[in-house]
Amino acid sequence: MSDVAIAVKNLSKSFKIAHQRDAGYRTLRDDLMGLPQRMLARWKRNGQLTSETFWALKDVSFEVKKGEVVGIIGRNGTGKSTLLKILSRITEPTSGGADIYGRIGALLEVGTGFHPELTGRENIFMNGAILGMKRVEIQQKFAEIVAFAGIDKFLDTPVKRYSSGMYVRLAFAVAAHLDPEILFVDEVLAVGDTEFQKKCLGKMHDVSQAGRTVIFISHSMEAISRLCPRAIWLHEGQLIVDGPSDAVIAQYSGASALSAIQT
Amino acid sequence: MTPIRTQARQQKPTFRIRPTKGWAPLNVLELWKYRDLLWILVERDTKLLYKQTALGVAWVVMQPLIAAVIFAVIFGRVARLPSDGAPYLLFVFCGLTVWTYFSQALQHAGNSLIRNAQLVSKVYFPKLLLPLAQTIRGLVDFTVTLVVLLVLMTIYRVPPTFRLAVLPVFLFFMTLTATGVALWFSALSVKYRDCTHALQYFIQIWMYASPVVYPISMIPERWRPLFALNPAVGFIEGFRWAVLGHSVLNPSLVCITIVMSLVVLFSGAFFFRRAERGFADII
Repeated sequence: MSDVAIAVKNLSKSFKIAHQRDAGYRTLRDDLMGLPQRMLARWKRNGQLTSETFWALKDVSFEVKKGEVVGIIGRNGTGKSTLLKILSRITEPTSGGADIYGRIGALLEVGTGFHPELTGRENIFMNGAILGMKRVEIQQKFAEIVAFAGIDKFLDTPVKRYSSGMYVRLAFAVAAHLDPEILFVDEVLAVGDTEFQKKCLGKMHDVSQAGRTVIFISHSMEAISRLCPRAIWLHEGQLIVDGPSDAVIAQYSGASALSAIQT
Repeated sequence: MTPIRTQARQQKPTFRIRPTKGWAPLNVLELWKYRDLLWILVERDTKLLYKQTALGVAWVVMQPLIAAVIFAVIFGRVARLPSDGAPYLLFVFCGLTVWTYFSQALQHAGNSLIRNAQLVSKVYFPKLLLPLAQTIRGLVDFTVTLVVLLVLMTIYRVPPTFRLAVLPVFLFFMTLTATGVALWFSALSVKYRDCTHALQYFIQIWMYASPVVYPISMIPERWRPLFALNPAVGFIEGFRWAVLGHSVLNPSLVCITIVMSLVVLFSGAFFFRRAERGFADII
């Protein structure tokens, strides 16, 4: 079988969270002053410092086949975004790993790399390049992107003068024309009006129809059940259920309702 | 490392995501793949710098020019520092042309990761491009100052010579050194915000430790090799030699600074690669 797009095995990611000591930035002075203490701690091998290890993801394993569209659901702060960040290589896992087969397009936030002072045209190139497109590719798709966003009149206006709707439309338009084999989308539909949301969902549907693999994070159960035949429920960094989306959503909603009653 | 799926053995994964330990390779191939992004970053920051500024390019020229006039008065007139026989203003402007590039590139590149924190934590790309784009972008300003230098040369009737042909070599090592130091600072400043403040003073001290306002002929000959461990010595004096023709710089000193600039560049690059994996988590 060579139809696997993503194979995730025992993926874990931990963060150190500091307590009390300093909530803000670390300063060089703090680190230098703490150095003897830390060396002593390491030497004594008791490793217990002022920080605590927090597992954002713990032992997550799953596989996604080429052309599958998988939704990831779960409450805030349960590791959904961390998972996509690891899969798109922005950050590294602490243990375990994943193999990716195909070109990735990651869309963790609409409009990353947009600069307010630059014009729409300049930002299309900037954003496209950041998302991994070649200049030639962007030139080829330029007309399509502009048409999708519907901003042709404002192409040479700095985006700081755009309405927020226009801004989001342009950003999504660039991302939607990325043409990756694997697409990661992290809750980007929460913005824009209903009409544009429909357009986005439609575009994502087209992408999945074209045989691309899509992993989609959303809090909108409606969007998940419409787009994704399969869903994964993450809770506190662990994979709870992986299966047909309707069943997973039913379980998830049931559990959420239950915890709502309890609290 | 064995592939996770045994069935997938015949197919190589495009990416293998594993925790890395210790030093990472530089991955120059990947940088090359992302060259389009590098140019777009250079272009973006050049445009951004001059947007909504009335004087635009003039600022680039003013900075070394004003500093040169001040130094000419203080160090040339009052302190009467030697200038290897050249007019002091021209002498110091030569040094400042190089130094302005160097300090500007360092400051912009040193802060490049923090200013682009959004990008660092939201998209994957070789982060090395951010400081690199700044040290390359600085060359645009540098070229503008070079034009002013040519004007000054005409005023002081210093004829350009064949030595100018060697200029690009010194400029190349100037860029390499700036990139190397910037890599150290940018990577450190992600973890320690102090570095952005420290950098200013570091640059200032470094300027006086380099032959910007004085020639290396002022340094006793036996100390010169030690002095040349500062890679800035090579490219500043080299630049001056190419433009003015007077310098006690010799090939062995040039070699020392070339080696040092490579040491700075590679140590910076490897350190950056090592720190890079944590950027998205701590920035």
